[in-house]
Amino acid sequence: MSKRAVDAVFQALFILSDLRFLLRETAPQHDLDEAQRERAATSLEKVKRQIAILEEEMVR
Amino acid sequence: MKCAVDIESRDVEEMYINIDPIQAGGRLTADAMKAAISFGDGYSVCDNCRSPFRLDYIQKPPIAQFHADLAAWLNMDAARVVPGARRGFQAVASTYVGKGDPVIVTALAHYTEFMAVEEAGGIPLEIPKDTANHITPDAAAEKIEAVIREFSRTPPLLFIDHVDYQFGNVHDVAGIAKVAHQYDIPVLVNGAYTVGIMPVDGKMLGADFVVGSGHKSMAAPAPSGVLATTEEHAGRVFRTTQAKGDVTGRTFGLKEVEMMGCTLMGVTVVGMMASFPHVRERVQHWETEVAHSQAVVDALLSIEGTKVLSDYPRQHTLTRIDTRESFDAVAQQHKKRGYFLSGELKKRGITGVIPGSTKVWKFNTFGLTEKQIRHVGESVVGIARENGLNIL
Repeated sequence: MSKRAVDAVFQALFILSDLRFLLRETAPQHDLDEAQRERAATSLEKVKRQIAILEEEMVR
Repeated sequence: MKCAVDIESRDVEEMYINIDPIQAGGRLTADAMKAAISFGDGYSVCDNCRSPFRLDYIQKPPIAQFHADLAAWLNMDAARVVPGARRGFQAVASTYVGKGDPVIVTALAHYTEFMAVEEAGGIPLEIPKDTANHITPDAAAEKIEAVIREFSRTPPLLFIDHVDYQFGNVHDVAGIAKVAHQYDIPVLVNGAYTVGIMPVDGKMLGADFVVGSGHKSMAAPAPSGVLATTEEHAGRVFRTTQAKGDVTGRTFGLKEVEMMGCTLMGVTVVGMMASFPHVRERVQHWETEVAHSQAVVDALLSIEGTKVLSDYPRQHTLTRIDTRESFDAVAQQHKKRGYFLSGELKKRGITGVIPGSTKVWKFNTFGLTEKQIRHVGESVVGIARENGLNIL
């Protein structure tokens, strides 16, 4: 389990970094346009998948 | 929110448009943030360091290739990463300047150039700026002649800032280097405000050394930077140690004296590397950055009484502005005095102007989006209007 869990942690952090960058690009109002909202949604889906892996590997 | 005991998380870049004059070009790319997560541990890049043990030989991560790429990108022959531009100045001064040597700097030189000269035992002597706040080849020639007359020897080094930190003006480096080379004086180009944000060609500038700042202009963590040089000078500034222990007889292989062996051994170098493809790409869009800068300057100049002290039209994103007859006039009557401007900007989501500044101040628009540029311009005009200033 360890390699899969470690990869999921890094992947999740990397995807969250993309979201962080999006917050920077859109500061201060964070008024996201359609393309940016789509990017955010895609990133969030990806993070959820990594969290699910972590739950499988580390909690169950 | 705290990121550790007694350390508040920093969310300035996420919450505000930051126009701080020194911070704009050093904001990390998303890839550099990821690299920082992965390589935060101290000697993290040393996992695969093999004989000969030196940072610039490491293949995994590809630090060796990065060094070659840096040199090629700057059109120089050799490059090393250094802990900040200042350490690049220090390495060169330590190599070329002896005790009592006169060294040419300029009236717009960064203080760390003075310190590098001082540490080497040299005497910094400034080329004066002209009335337009430029360092010219003619002034350089006059200064060199005067120094040679006074010291009866030729200065061993000349520092010139490609773009100065005070006005953000672009100087005639090629012309100054041509003059210096007529006296056989090597030229160090301080590219702290150019390398990584606009195209820089070391050979075209006539540079013997190009120094850049990772954390100021290459979207890299601090302290980081680059020192690049020509084949002619590489052997000298990157000389290897000859030291030998008198008791142990130890020698230290290929370690470079001025680099103190290895320089950036973790998040700094990997952060630089991760940002490098983006940095290489972004310098191609310099004209857009300058147009953004111009748009904000024009918004400020639409406020009656405001003057720009930097070159106009703008040729760089760092600008020095004089609002003594506009925002400072408001400050005299305002209950928050000089703090009203930074306060009003902050209310509109803009930070980076020194709190209390309403007289002469600097800002940098590098890296902002079109929308953010528009917001900054509209905000300064809005603040002016709300405080009774005339908009021209």
